[in-house]
Amino acid sequence: MNALAARGIAKSFGGRKALDGVTFAIDYGELVGLIGPNGSGKTTLLNILSGHLVPDAGEILLDGKPMHGMTPVRAAHSGILRMFQLTRVFRRMSALDNLVTAGCALGLEFGAAQARARELVEELRLEHVATLDAGNLSGGQQKLLEFGCCFMVPPKIALLDEPFAAVHPTMKEIMAEFIRRRHAAGQTVLVVSHDMPVIVELCRSAICMNAGVVLAAGETREVLANHQVIEAYLGGEAA
Amino acid sequence: MTRSSQQRLRDELVASLALMAAVAAVPLAVTNDYWLGVLIVSMYFVFLAGGWNLLAGYAGQFSLAPATFAMLGAYGTGLLAYHWQVPAWASIPAGILAAALIGMTLGRIVMRLRGPYLALTTLSFAEIMRIVIGNSYDFTRGDLGLSVPALTNNRLVWYYVFVATVVLMQLALYALLRSRAGLYLMAIRDDEIGAASRGINTAFWKTAAFTLSTALAGLAGVLYAHFSSLVSPELGLILQTGLVICMVFIGGIASLVGPVFGAFLVYLASEALREAGGVQLIVFALLVILIARFFREGLWGLARRLLERPAP
Repeated sequence: MNALAARGIAKSFGGRKALDGVTFAIDYGELVGLIGPNGSGKTTLLNILSGHLVPDAGEILLDGKPMHGMTPVRAAHSGILRMFQLTRVFRRMSALDNLVTAGCALGLEFGAAQARARELVEELRLEHVATLDAGNLSGGQQKLLEFGCCFMVPPKIALLDEPFAAVHPTMKEIMAEFIRRRHAAGQTVLVVSHDMPVIVELCRSAICMNAGVVLAAGETREVLANHQVIEAYLGGEAA
Repeated sequence: MTRSSQQRLRDELVASLALMAAVAAVPLAVTNDYWLGVLIVSMYFVFLAGGWNLLAGYAGQFSLAPATFAMLGAYGTGLLAYHWQVPAWASIPAGILAAALIGMTLGRIVMRLRGPYLALTTLSFAEIMRIVIGNSYDFTRGDLGLSVPALTNNRLVWYYVFVATVVLMQLALYALLRSRAGLYLMAIRDDEIGAASRGINTAFWKTAAFTLSTALAGLAGVLYAHFSSLVSPELGLILQTGLVICMVFIGGIASLVGPVFGAFLVYLASEALREAGGVQLIVFALLVILIARFFREGLWGLARRLLERPAP
């Protein structure tokens, strides 16, 4: 049984097939990188996994059980939490309140949520901006904050969409370190990224997509050595 | 909610209670029935502004129907008393309940609409209700208005009933906003998709905000009906909703005290400008534009900024 699995997921927008039979599985405690060129369907896949889009065909299994009629709210309560590529923090609430809200929404008591929020603020090095409105934080700090919101209640699986894009190297390191620590403690994570060095360093296994299909999946180094993958990235006759 | 935001909310509550204490002391100096009446009507608007602020300021849903729900509450108690001689102790809660139930139903229907679509749908609802009530002569007496039993003609009694009810509303809103419900509403306002992804049941909380907001409007309506002993479709004029929105923006949206302050300021000013005829709304509209452009947080935000300025 896998933590999260997808079977034959298909999704079209108008006449264009964004996903064309995507199948993969993520084991408990795995840290998997999802890579692929722009437009390969990574974000569409994430949107389906988190209930923001309904697939045209196929099914998603969480803990081996199929999830039907999934909405973002249901996904969150079943333990699938995601981080967006374009940050979605609550801009006119303080950073701490953002975290407390995320905790309460998943059933933490007020006091417990506050204590947990303070821990995370410290771990993500956001202490000095914790009482500022989230909208006044820098782009990187907002990413860290949203990242923290996904871990207020440890999810069954965290879906991270481009957490490292356009983030200061220091913050990138804070985030990578955080992911590494959680992974060591058994957290299951799917991380979408264009940042190959980070993926190679962080994720033992990877899934590569192109044009709505999975090109290769398995050990990261093998996936990256796959000639189809190289072709997809270099566009055409290479390899 | 963290300490700093709790502190801010508490400051707003204290400021609004101080304002109401000052209002409560007014009859010591002013015994003129006319001006007491003006202040009572201002407090009618405090309920409307407070309810609209909960919906628009905290939950981010722009309804254009607060005055309509006051009208519905007023007709609720009025019709029960007029047709079936229902005593006030029963018809008053029934009126509030009617407004809240209609609000909940409308809330469920418009919940999926956003921004301008929500505003336009509530606007059409507002006009439809006003026209239906205005034209149902046999049942509502239409534009002639409906007379409602006045529970007492003592202005001072009414004055303190309104003051006490405003204080209760402020305490209730404070308790609501410092609970997790307050956090959820603000999260939905700031980013609805984000809120749902964190596991907040946005449909439920938006409907709840809509229902509470219309219940407060209904409360305003029933109190006004028995105070003025006359209700008419004019209560639901879009102009009245315009006034409510001006009050909230001028006083300071998304604060506990702003709408209270704004309601007194705008209604007293509109009384003072009555002589000048139709210029009131022009003046308020200009003020709203200036405030929206220069100080988004209204007069309360401006006051807070001045108070919080670090000492030199």
